[in-house]
Amino acid sequence: MAHHYVVTAHKPTAVTACVTGNFTSPTDLNLIVAKNTRLEIYLVTPEGLRPIKEVGLYGKVAVMKLFRPQHERKDLLFIVTMRYNAMILECINDGENIEIITKAHGNVADRIGKPSDTGILAVIDPKARVIGLRLYDGLFKIIPLDKDNSELKASNIKMEELQVHDIEFLHGCANPTLILIYQDVNGRHVKTHEISVREKEFKALTIVKVPWKQDNVETEASIIIPVPSPLGGAIIIGQETILYYDGITSVVVAPPVIKQSTIICYAKVDPGGLRYLLGDMAGHLFMLFLETEPRGEGSEVVKDIKVEMLGEIVTPECITYLDNGVLFIGSRIGDSQLIKLNTKADEFGSYVTVMESFTNLAPILDMCVVDLERQGQGQLVTCSGAFKEGSLRIIRNGIGIQEHASIDLPGIKGMWALQVASGGRLDNTLVLAFVGQTRVLSLNGEEVEETDIAGFAADLQTFYCGNVAHEQIVQVTSVSARLISSQSRTLLAEWKPPTEKTISVVACNSSQIVVSTGSALYYIEIHPNELILKGNTTLDVEIACLDVSPLGEDGSPSDLVAVGLWTDISARILRLPDLTEVTKEMLGGEIIPRSVLMTCFEGQNYLLCALGDGSMFYFLLNKETGALTDKKKVTLGTQPTVLRTFRSLSTTNVFACSDRPTVIYSSNHKLVFSNVNMKEVNHMCSLNAEAYPDSLALATDNSVTIGTIDEIQKLHIRTVPLQESPKRIAYQETSQTFGVIASRVDIQDSTGLNPARQSASTTTQSVTVSSSVGSLAVGKSSGSGGAGGAGAMGGGSLAPDYGQEVEVHSLLIIDQHTFEVLHAHQLMQQEYAMSLISCQLGTDSNTYFIVGTAVVNPEEPEPKQGRLLVFHWNDNKLCQVSEKEIKGACYSLAEFNGKLLASINSTARLFEWTTEKELRLECSHFNNIISLFLKTKGDFILIGDLMRSMTLLQYKTMEGSFEEIARDYNPNWMTAVEILDDDVFLGAENCYNLFVCQKDSAAATDEERSQMQEVGQFHVGDMVNVFRHGSLVMQNLGETSTPTRGCVLFGTVGGAIGLVTQIPQTFYDFLLELQNKLSTVIKSVGKIEHNFWRAFHTDIKTEPSEGFIDGDLIESFLDLSQEKMKEVADSCQLTVEHLVKMIEDLTRIH
Amino acid sequence: MSVSQFLEGLPSYNENNFSKFHVDSNSRSSLKRPSVYVPTREYPSEQIIVTEKTSILLKYMQQHWDKKVSSSVKKRDLTTDEEPSRKRPRSEYPS
Repeated sequence: MAHHYVVTAHKPTAVTACVTGNFTSPTDLNLIVAKNTRLEIYLVTPEGLRPIKEVGLYGKVAVMKLFRPQHERKDLLFIVTMRYNAMILECINDGENIEIITKAHGNVADRIGKPSDTGILAVIDPKARVIGLRLYDGLFKIIPLDKDNSELKASNIKMEELQVHDIEFLHGCANPTLILIYQDVNGRHVKTHEISVREKEFKALTIVKVPWKQDNVETEASIIIPVPSPLGGAIIIGQETILYYDGITSVVVAPPVIKQSTIICYAKVDPGGLRYLLGDMAGHLFMLFLETEPRGEGSEVVKDIKVEMLGEIVTPECITYLDNGVLFIGSRIGDSQLIKLNTKADEFGSYVTVMESFTNLAPILDMCVVDLERQGQGQLVTCSGAFKEGSLRIIRNGIGIQEHASIDLPGIKGMWALQVASGGRLDNTLVLAFVGQTRVLSLNGEEVEETDIAGFAADLQTFYCGNVAHEQIVQVTSVSARLISSQSRTLLAEWKPPTEKTISVVACNSSQIVVSTGSALYYIEIHPNELILKGNTTLDVEIACLDVSPLGEDGSPSDLVAVGLWTDISARILRLPDLTEVTKEMLGGEIIPRSVLMTCFEGQNYLLCALGDGSMFYFLLNKETGALTDKKKVTLGTQPTVLRTFRSLSTTNVFACSDRPTVIYSSNHKLVFSNVNMKEVNHMCSLNAEAYPDSLALATDNSVTIGTIDEIQKLHIRTVPLQESPKRIAYQETSQTFGVIASRVDIQDSTGLNPARQSASTTTQSVTVSSSVGSLAVGKSSGSGGAGGAGAMGGGSLAPDYGQEVEVHSLLIIDQHTFEVLHAHQLMQQEYAMSLISCQLGTDSNTYFIVGTAVVNPEEPEPKQGRLLVFHWNDNKLCQVSEKEIKGACYSLAEFNGKLLASINSTARLFEWTTEKELRLECSHFNNIISLFLKTKGDFILIGDLMRSMTLLQYKTMEGSFEEIARDYNPNWMTAVEILDDDVFLGAENCYNLFVCQKDSAAATDEERSQMQEVGQFHVGDMVNVFRHGSLVMQNLGETSTPTRGCVLFGTVGGAIGLVTQIPQTFYDFLLELQNKLSTVIKSVGKIEHNFWRAFHTDIKTEPSEGFIDGDLIESFLDLSQEKMKEVADSCQLTVEHLVKMIEDLTRIH
Repeated sequence: MSVSQFLEGLPSYNENNFSKFHVDSNSRSSLKRPSVYVPTREYPSEQIIVTEKTSILLKYMQQHWDKKVSSSVKKRDLTTDEEPSRKRPRSEYPS
């Protein structure tokens, strides 16, 4: 049996809904943002948005509304999930903690009914008397909000209008009154219905006396904005017109500014409802203003509607007004924004300033795992966003440095923090060593200024400096060790090596100094006002590095010195004070040790020894005998590494300064190596200053940065904007580039096709175009529109209509270091690039980018032709090596034993690479509807079909043909597939489920062998677009207590990154028990059962989850209180510590 | 009416909100996430939302039946005082 652990490494980031109101208390102004299954609650403060809580739901949010029941002082949250779980949530805030109380819950699904194409619509009466739900065509569900009843009875009423596009409740009506936009054969109309809650029937149509069909000429009307009292009525937003109507007054405007795109969301600005913000698909923000005039009797009527463009924002999904001209723009395809409206336009005519943006990976269309630094740690590069929000995101696991200050200072050779006459325990001075000089910076609050310390030798490079016992400071230079009073700053004593040799290496603690001059080693003790030489020795080779860090907790002096040596490349342990050698460890190789460090992690002593090539050995160190055991090696960077200790949260950590800065710490008695999100660090020291408490000072080539360090490692994301939609990505190691397929939108105007906006493919220096259509006879394509195919380049074909938007696909070549677009190759008109790989073919030594395309004709049900294009990127030039015409769309490509495997429409086809550098068809497999995905392993091929799940093929080398080995006969509509091992296959389907199929080669009959067994199923709650083998954490670093095997990462439409790993049966059984316990201990917000949520659920079946452990639930154990942890641990017959460590280990796989 | 006039007097619920917001040039892109709410206390739900299981067609027929029965009973009440009609819902006959 196959058992798997699935966990979210990066939570979904696409914003699907946002609301503002008083949720956490009557006086708190809150922003609540829904991201797939998560709610984020923010508080609006003078400093901006302050995160309060993140709430996970066992369901994907379909609708989220805030409402205020009458006589309530704060708002309640109403949510409906995609699986029709409805809930009313209240927030109780006792000052420190908040609790989310489920006031009402229940499932509102019906057994029959056609789910509406326009999705779930939910509306709440302005007086909070009823909630209305449009879930299925022809039915409207009413939930009367009866306070006194323990049951809220949801009942269906018939709605004659089948195609409802939007629905709202009108304000200022005696009975709850619906207004809706619906469509029939004649077009779209607006209608109102008054609801009598008692009878649960629509009563007479009281407002609309005038036949709306006449007024309603707008065929694309899609949004209703109900206008609050006293005006009442509603605004209807269409594609080109905006209509206000209240049954009597009718105002229609057709502002030219809104025509360019389609308005998709709005936000009310004034409580009185005169101003509204509108956002369109192109990312324009408009303000709509209702101009009124008096009608007599003190009432006002709408006279005119004004619409003005305010500026450009991220492509919005939802907008909400917060306070003082600040808005939140939620986006599904770009980074959500906090923006401010200004009364004056900036130089570009925009009234909008972006205050903050919120990183969003969604939708992840494709991704690749690469190890650019060759460290054994993968980075993920995703194709994220769409249209103008299209970007590549580089995602890397590591520890973050929050930068608080930075000083430009090139050439730093060493750096130490000091307390000079401070009296307290805070650092107030930073000593910086340069070649031939030393500079002293004093930290006065946030101010930094250069100063002098009288007893210092400022004209020499400092090798070491630090506060030592008896309120003294030690400075060691190439000439001498100086002892200085930290109060009077005067020189108290100086020690010079006896032979006039220059000091080369030094190490020091608060009472001891070890100094070497070449191969001579001196041991000095620090006493009040004097430095006393206590021992010396001469080693057989020169000393490269030293350490005398005390291993005891109590600050007692060290009994041992660690030494790294030149020439024989050894690490040695010497005993103090006589400097006798107790251990000699040959490191091997030719790279000299550059930094040694003795340190204690979790009560275990270690010797770390970093070499000049960025690798590091580490040993267990016996403090009593000086013995070194358990030698291990790890690669941290590529440059000489300097090791420094620092303390964070009372635990010891080591910072490895190099071109790949790394933090080393211990967990569960194992060393953990975590990247730091800085490019390069040459030196570092701990700094605990008044303005910079618990900070680090980090020196790079050109500057000093003061910052704080994250407690835990997490994913860090870098954005490379493309401003067009990236579709596929492939990494090519030989050329150090990424190939990316991207599409932009061009608009046909009087001069021909022109890009709608500048983007990666239009701004790069070097552009080529597929113009050779000779081999592709477009006219062969059937259908009257065939001539319109790829012909524009070939001439003699129809141009698109004026104003028509056309997708233009390009292959971009992007530098792996700078992420600069080096080249763009534009495909033919109507030719869509569908797939991309980088591979070698046959005996050809070149590595190629291969693009599979389709010629898309709107009249054809499926593409009838396409191309396979072989490109070679060499010497900064893109050369098309080969082109092969195919009869369909190439959905997927894979390298297969030196040949090219392509899935083309319903087939899988294998192409040989001939010596003439041409693709020649070798064999095909036909038994699918549309072969969308291909994965290969050895001789095996896994095909993911549009609707026929997964099929396994084997390539018969001798016959040169495919044989169908096994198939999953369940009707799954696939979105991604992956091969986990020879017998186990992972699939994702379009109802947001994962499943695992296993082939049974040992089965008795052919029939049994040919059927894959579904051995695992799980509802992941988001659409998986891509699976990739790989990991985001460093691999093979010592042992781990969690027996996970393999790692497959997945990217989703919601912008989440997850991973699936295989676990053994015993571990699965244990985790399943833990999961069951946790699902009872951790209560569900909205009272949706955990097993309901994770059950494999499609339109046609629901089956309990099996074969998968919900890692998200398991890892939430770490957020429990001690008491609850104990309850869970007791039920598993484990100690809390053991369980915490085990789950911490599990979290460390992502 | 100019855009500037449009944008004047935007609603203010607390004039201090966003007043101390300062643009951090280093990290305009925010990654801060709120702490995760892990509820372990059980609060009983005050109200349960129950969905009516009857289909609207049955409901419609039921309503009509009820109307018919009540009106026919009335009619009969006026004319005869005999035994109740044979056609009555069985529920009225406790077995």
